[in-house]
Amino acid sequence: MNQSFLPLQRLFKQLVAAGLLTATSYAAVAATINISLDDDPGKLDPTQSSMIAERMVYQSIFDKLVDLDENGKIVPMLAQRWTISDDQKTYTLYLQKGVKFQDGTPFNAKAVEFNLLRGQEKSSLRRNELKYIKQITVVDDSTVKLELTTPFAPFMSILTDRAGMMSSPDAVKKFGDDYVNNPVGTGPFIYKGRLKGATITLEKNPHYWQAGLPKADGVTYKIMSDVNVAFNNLRSGQVDITNRFPYKEITNIEAGAKYAVINKPSLGFRGFYLNTSKPPFDKKEVREAVDILIDRNAIAKVVYNGAVAASHSPFSKAQFAHGDADTPPKVDVARAKALLKAAGKEAGFSFKLTLPTTPYESQVGQMIQGMLRPAGITVTLEKAELATQIESGKAGTYEGLFVGWSGRPDPDQNVYDFVVTNGSLNYSKYGTKEVDDLLQQARLEGNEAKRKAVYDQAMQILVKDVPYIYLNHDNVLFGISKAVKGFRYVPDGVIRTATLAK
Amino acid sequence: MSPLLKRILLVIPTLLLVSMGIFSLLAILPGDPVTAILGLEATPEAALALRAQLGLDDPLYLQYAHWLWGVLHGDLGRSFIDRTPVMDVLMQRLPVTIELAVGSFAVGILIAVPAGIMAAVRPRGIANYVSTLVALFGMSVPHFWLGMMFIILFAVKLGWLPASGYVPFTEDWRGNLAAMCMPMLATGLRESAILMRMVRSSLLEVLNEDYIRTAFSKGLKDWQVVIGHALRNALIPVVTASGLMVSVLLGGLVITESIFGIPGMGKMIVDAIFQRDYVMVQGGVLAAALMVVIVNLVVDVLYTIIDPRIEK
Repeated sequence: MNQSFLPLQRLFKQLVAAGLLTATSYAAVAATINISLDDDPGKLDPTQSSMIAERMVYQSIFDKLVDLDENGKIVPMLAQRWTISDDQKTYTLYLQKGVKFQDGTPFNAKAVEFNLLRGQEKSSLRRNELKYIKQITVVDDSTVKLELTTPFAPFMSILTDRAGMMSSPDAVKKFGDDYVNNPVGTGPFIYKGRLKGATITLEKNPHYWQAGLPKADGVTYKIMSDVNVAFNNLRSGQVDITNRFPYKEITNIEAGAKYAVINKPSLGFRGFYLNTSKPPFDKKEVREAVDILIDRNAIAKVVYNGAVAASHSPFSKAQFAHGDADTPPKVDVARAKALLKAAGKEAGFSFKLTLPTTPYESQVGQMIQGMLRPAGITVTLEKAELATQIESGKAGTYEGLFVGWSGRPDPDQNVYDFVVTNGSLNYSKYGTKEVDDLLQQARLEGNEAKRKAVYDQAMQILVKDVPYIYLNHDNVLFGISKAVKGFRYVPDGVIRTATLAK
Repeated sequence: MSPLLKRILLVIPTLLLVSMGIFSLLAILPGDPVTAILGLEATPEAALALRAQLGLDDPLYLQYAHWLWGVLHGDLGRSFIDRTPVMDVLMQRLPVTIELAVGSFAVGILIAVPAGIMAAVRPRGIANYVSTLVALFGMSVPHFWLGMMFIILFAVKLGWLPASGYVPFTEDWRGNLAAMCMPMLATGLRESAILMRMVRSSLLEVLNEDYIRTAFSKGLKDWQVVIGHALRNALIPVVTASGLMVSVLLGGLVITESIFGIPGMGKMIVDAIFQRDYVMVQGGVLAAALMVVIVNLVVDVLYTIIDPRIEK
């Protein structure tokens, strides 16, 4: 053998060995759970949060007053039990005793008062959710009484999310404006640091109040905006759970694969607003025509590979308000044409549909273009980022606006602001007294079965008025390594890390 | 004043123009930062509070003046999103991108120069055809695709290298190199393709010069002529091209960084644009512009080293 090649060969072997060594050194820290997020969380402060990726990180750092279980039912967390007065205006929370924040300060009724007041501040994004709290009374160290201005049935469910997350009052005061980079809760993992745009590192909270938890030594969130990149990392073992999964791969998983997919109903919905304040969608018949021309099942199958449920209402199967209204209408071109004729548009019309910049929604847009064509409706597609979409939504300058909603546990949070007159998310500029009254009535009603009946009534009006074209309910769609144990699906789509192990 | 000093002084108006340009572009970008940051759940009160906190109430020229005043005092401002100082983020990101850029460039040179020489020396040899083919492939294949293929081969199938992620060199040099070698290779291969064609054609030209014939006729060996006499003169256009390619390289790194999850400058600027984190964009673009300007200065200096006939 040519001698001069030997050093090169040795070098190559060393390089390979170095590669293998690094691979094994990754395996050595196996007790850390790596989760990929498709978005980089902004501020690590629940009162400032506006995206779902942030909620993923928060739930590891912060406990909430109450939590959700796999059926979407409200279960105890920092509040071990609670009572609601007969007039549904007074909530008394009995707190876990002996819980400490990660900075060693005690969690107690005073801390609850501090956090709820903080959530109500002007700069807080939780202000809307907590606006009905009139009075907070610290009864004793572990009891707190909340008086509302009006009965508000969604109240407890709001406390399962960011409004119910408890920050250490000491840390908030100590760090001031910089608390967003120094979050301290009572949760199973402690914030250690982050490399913006790359990783967020959390370490086990050794003094966690729930016995035997957390199971893992740490959690690392890795930011991977591209779903295929995240998927490759799952396949190569750098990531244990991905918060997205490529739709086309769902049906491609081989028998021996080291990963599985979690594919279950979420609370959210996808679809587009129709601007009822200006032509062409100021006419109800025109909106209904569009509604009955769209084949939701085809979209669910072609674009999302079945990982969504075709819908016709904001309420998914994971929600108690889910009813018959959610069944999409049969496509009926003849009736659509008749409706257009009644609206004086038998020659058809054209409108602009503004889509998000994601590739999947582009495909949906193209399918809709094709589906509306038989009735003479021409759709022009335009793409815009969320901020631009929100602005045109608020201003009412658009014609059709594709903006989805990640969903909240209480049905009220998925419908009220979207359709009630002057609601903060009512970009359709829709408003009828009947719907306003019904949705208000649902807020006052404490009984779930009775509330559902009220929502059914409201939906009967909404499916005829069509201020918004509901297309589908997104599924909770995670890729998960088979090495991970203790995964618990919760319909809010937020990964609970305390029970995870590998 | 020496030409070099003049060049250095020109850096200042260049950067000023760049910063003004990017500021104006951001101002006409649709999508208000406050809406972008607060999202769907914004309340009017929160929007007002944030607008005041970020100083977006001021007229545009005043916002720019504030920013510039800060920059002159070494303060690049704080991120709109999480209030971290832009300087801190740059200090975190800049070394990453520099490592990646230098590494990619090194890969490019290490492949391009030997391959280019071989191709030029034996224009009818197999080396020429192979390297031409490889170069053509390197230029036509998008490097994000190449990156994906590398990940599937080396990370998913063979499991030699991590699919993505980044560890600082100072923390774990081995992990750092393992994470960086695929992105460097993916970007570097593309660089090498372009540079290799350059080396080859430039060298071919020089090899036809009279003084090369003289060198051969003196009885020097092939490699002595090529390395000792021809290469030096052939490198001038290559160095020029390399300098110009740095800005292209920085642009390309945006994609490389996204695919391999590397927290560099390119990804930072793109993320900041999407989040409407104007201050962060300004700082990032300024740093990137500074890098390009510095590289071009270095190229100018390199000329004088490679060919002393070029005036300082």
